[in-house]
Amino acid sequence: MTDMHNNPQFENNDYLVEVEHMKKYFPVQTGFIDQLLSRERDFVRAVDDVSFKIRRGEVLGLAGESGSGKTTIGRVTIGLEEKTEGEVKFDGVDLSTLRAEELRKLRRRMQVIFQDPMASLNPRMSLGNAISQGLEIHYPETKEQHRDIVLEVMEKVGLSPALFYYNKFPHQISGGQRQRVVIARALVTKPELVLADEPIAMADVSVRAQLLDLMVQLKNEFNLTFLFITHDLATAKYICDRIGILYLGKIVEISDLREVYAHPLHPYTIALLAAVPVPNPHERRKEPMPKGEIPNPIHPPSGCRFHPRCPYAQDICSVEEPQLRELRPGHQVACHFAEQFQ
Amino acid sequence: MMNDKKVLMQVRDLSVNYKTRLGMVSAVDHVSFDIYEGEILGLVGESGCGKSTMGKALMRMIQPPGRITGGKLILDDNDIMTYDEKQMQDFRGRKVSMIFQDPMTSLNPVQRVDEHLVEAIQVHFPGITKEEALVRSSELLEKLGIQSNRMGSYPHQLSGGMRQRVMVALGLILNANLIIADEATTSLDVIVEAKLADQFRDIREEFGVTMLVITHNIALVAELSDRLAVMYAGHVVEIGSVYDVFDNPLHPYTIGLLYSVPNIRLDDEKELYKMPGEPPNLTHPPGGCRFHPRCPKAMDICSQKEPDLIEVSPGRHVKCWLFQEHPEEAEESVEVTL
Amino acid sequence: MKKDIENNPTQAQSSETPDWLLDLDKVGFIRRIFLARKWYGGDWWFVAISAVLLLFIIIVGVFPQWFAPYDPSAEVGPSLLEPGVAPSSYVLVAPIEAGEITLVDIGDKSNNIGFIIGSPASQALREATDTLNDAAPEGVRYQPRQMRYETLAEGLDALAAGEIDGFVAAPDVLENVLDGYPTLRIANTLREDASKGFVMGTNQIGQDVFSRIIWGTRIALIVGLSSAIVSLVIGVPLGLISGFTGGPLDRILTLIMDSLYSFPGLILAISIAAVLGAGIGNIIVSIAVLYIPTYYRIVRGQTLAVKKELYVEAARSLGTSKLKILTKYIFPNVIPSVVIIFSVNVGDAILTEAGLSFLGFGLPPNTPDWGIDLARGQDYVRRAWWLITYPGLMVTMVTLSFSMLGESLSEILNPKLTER
Repeated sequence: MTDMHNNPQFENNDYLVEVEHMKKYFPVQTGFIDQLLSRERDFVRAVDDVSFKIRRGEVLGLAGESGSGKTTIGRVTIGLEEKTEGEVKFDGVDLSTLRAEELRKLRRRMQVIFQDPMASLNPRMSLGNAISQGLEIHYPETKEQHRDIVLEVMEKVGLSPALFYYNKFPHQISGGQRQRVVIARALVTKPELVLADEPIAMADVSVRAQLLDLMVQLKNEFNLTFLFITHDLATAKYICDRIGILYLGKIVEISDLREVYAHPLHPYTIALLAAVPVPNPHERRKEPMPKGEIPNPIHPPSGCRFHPRCPYAQDICSVEEPQLRELRPGHQVACHFAEQFQ
Repeated sequence: MMNDKKVLMQVRDLSVNYKTRLGMVSAVDHVSFDIYEGEILGLVGESGCGKSTMGKALMRMIQPPGRITGGKLILDDNDIMTYDEKQMQDFRGRKVSMIFQDPMTSLNPVQRVDEHLVEAIQVHFPGITKEEALVRSSELLEKLGIQSNRMGSYPHQLSGGMRQRVMVALGLILNANLIIADEATTSLDVIVEAKLADQFRDIREEFGVTMLVITHNIALVAELSDRLAVMYAGHVVEIGSVYDVFDNPLHPYTIGLLYSVPNIRLDDEKELYKMPGEPPNLTHPPGGCRFHPRCPKAMDICSQKEPDLIEVSPGRHVKCWLFQEHPEEAEESVEVTL
Repeated sequence: MKKDIENNPTQAQSSETPDWLLDLDKVGFIRRIFLARKWYGGDWWFVAISAVLLLFIIIVGVFPQWFAPYDPSAEVGPSLLEPGVAPSSYVLVAPIEAGEITLVDIGDKSNNIGFIIGSPASQALREATDTLNDAAPEGVRYQPRQMRYETLAEGLDALAAGEIDGFVAAPDVLENVLDGYPTLRIANTLREDASKGFVMGTNQIGQDVFSRIIWGTRIALIVGLSSAIVSLVIGVPLGLISGFTGGPLDRILTLIMDSLYSFPGLILAISIAAVLGAGIGNIIVSIAVLYIPTYYRIVRGQTLAVKKELYVEAARSLGTSKLKILTKYIFPNVIPSVVIIFSVNVGDAILTEAGLSFLGFGLPPNTPDWGIDLARGQDYVRRAWWLITYPGLMVTMVTLSFSMLGESLSEILNPKLTER
């Protein structure tokens, strides 16, 4: 596991990923008549002006509920979706300046671990074949060595004996094992950045700890950088170095994980942390939950997006959108009245 | 919170089998336990342990290729296994009702919210007029946090949390004694889940409803339930008050499970326990105790004979040879006397 | 107890493969087939039956000469002979004064031999003549002139009057009648009772129905399989490309295919056959065109669905090229549905071919083909039911076998079968 206590604050400024003012809007399907009448199109503002940086070797978590935009941010960062606005730089290179072929070649350095292992594996491809795809695409010249590399990676992720699993198909193995295959497939090209999109959400409870541990081990061994998307704040504690809390397409708070969990400064973060059930009946939640529900991302509330539900909201909150500001060292929060929580 | 220990429902020796291409799956295997009136009983386990099957079996809603192959379900001194279809139709909804995981598919998409509730009432109480039914429905919905102006909405116009609350209302509208919530919060966001959990507690306070909460979310059960039953591979392996089980888990599976659950609290510094192996294939369940291949404390007897679920202290049951005399031990003592 | 857990070494490689699963892998091929029978469930006999039937049909189609007792185009028996009935004997009636003459005596060109018009007697006469001719030395040729009479009475009158030299008829027909002709008597038998008949009877020309349908299998299979293959080879790639690339190409192709698809099948086939003309190649083409839209639609639909699957996106995220995605990810997942269509297609193509031949398009009229036989037999439904029954049964059986195969294949090819 990450020894989070001994880990010094990242001193270096070696950023592998730099995202500036990312926006991703999805047009809402309009009917034929509406198009004719050329009314203004509605957009789902999935990601609305998000900026962050990821240092080499760190695990940045993006946490939020549905509609927060966390998955979309991940996909745009890794180039699976095109941004509407903003800048996404990978190792100093702006992704939008790349031609399709160049981007395809860049994939070798950034890989994805998807949420649903069954759905992300080709049912007609044997496991060994599936894992070696990355090698086939990016290192076609070393074909003879592919099999050995794949077997080695399979052993590393715990699919042992590897020869037994090499020729199996996804439907012949369990869910936990499938996720290991997905991890192996992502790591076979020795990428630098790994986007992990809710990687253990669909695994069995007793298997999740194994997978988490595996990811931490591999991260340390291969010096990987993770962008870890999750809705499970409890799990995030065990793997993320830093964490950003998202609400309705915006980052409301971002800092070192322990810092955010110990000193949450945004009302939403406070509520979110309190809402997570604790596996200890002596520590049941006493705090009430914010009223209302997550609003429609097509028409987000004015000003601070959380203000309709915020127990601390004041007049200014519905008018002026708060910007991220650093209140404690390395700890940024977007709230007009965050001081009261210090 | 142990109130008057009046038993609402007794499950005795329940067994449910599924016929699959790979063979016969014993999803629930000779399970017995009690549900007390007014309690919230949490039933936890991983996927495939049989907890959802159990929930459906309690309402005799097992469809082919599954079958209840044995056992008794006693409610109000009646064994509902002996009920005919007409009695079961009356039973379902009025005595026991269920809240499912995905409210979108369990609500009729072409029926409005109020229509759902009114229909439920009129099916079970044909004498009640539509107006009366509407009044009852809107009162209940208000209590659950759905304003009357949303009553005319269709399911797709409501959010996930609201739909779940409509399901809760459907469960309550007929004054059911027992509500079974089968992974009712699994597809919901964290805050919505927390609010729904609060709701469950509230309705228990206000209506005296008994709840069986089936989930794989251990932390949720810790927050919510009075008693806890742990299921593994079709067996209940441990059952007791939630405090007892969490403070002092007895069954090795429970221990492993509790230690593998992530805890958001920063003062919990423990590493997560990684349980070896995977949940078993129920067409070829391990012999003897079904957990023995993964058990760090397995003994010889564990692979040979299945232990019983016995009471080790008041209200606490465990199904493990560590807490029972082995037949070998008993035999030994016989030899000594010879 | 808690301490034990905490001290437990935590390894990543703790997913142990259960022993029984490892053992299963070591099991041999034969045992796997038996296990397959187990997991496949009760319907395996369905596959077995259809497979056996089809195998039999294919063998018959490839080696018809092993099964057909006679040459399908040869006139081997009297026309319209019932199945199983042996052809009856025929006798030569002659004036008593002529003595015990045989055909040899009155067999050459200058002789006239009569028989009832339309009766099998003519065939008997022909056969007898042929037999004589085969046995005769060079230069000698038997070819009596044939005189046809409307009724037996006319014929016998003519014989008595000396207009003809002999009369051929079946003995049971003559039984009582001959008494009225004191000058005539049965001179000799022309042909003995045959020992055996034809198991499915003969058609109007005297060809053996059984042999014809055996040989018809070959034609049916050739046409059915070829046209199905052509449709597949054209329809599947078009569907794949169309579904994958989308855009204007997709729209144009879909438009064309939908228009083709909306034509009633047989009419379309007829139109094409009419344009192309007769011949087996043209029939194959016409029927093939009929089924291309089916393959196109199904494959395109599947491609569109698979395109959205997560594993295709995962492939994209790996950096897979578009061509590879199409061939390695989309194609293998679309193929199972194609195989099923194919097997049903073949059965259907055979039906269509039979229909086309029935209507007179396509195959040369001498070909032993079920459709042609059905066409020729329609006028004889009452008199000679065997002419259409057997070809009809064959068409049904073959189509059914292929459909059964398609059904059972859809079960097998579903990868979820061995799911744990």
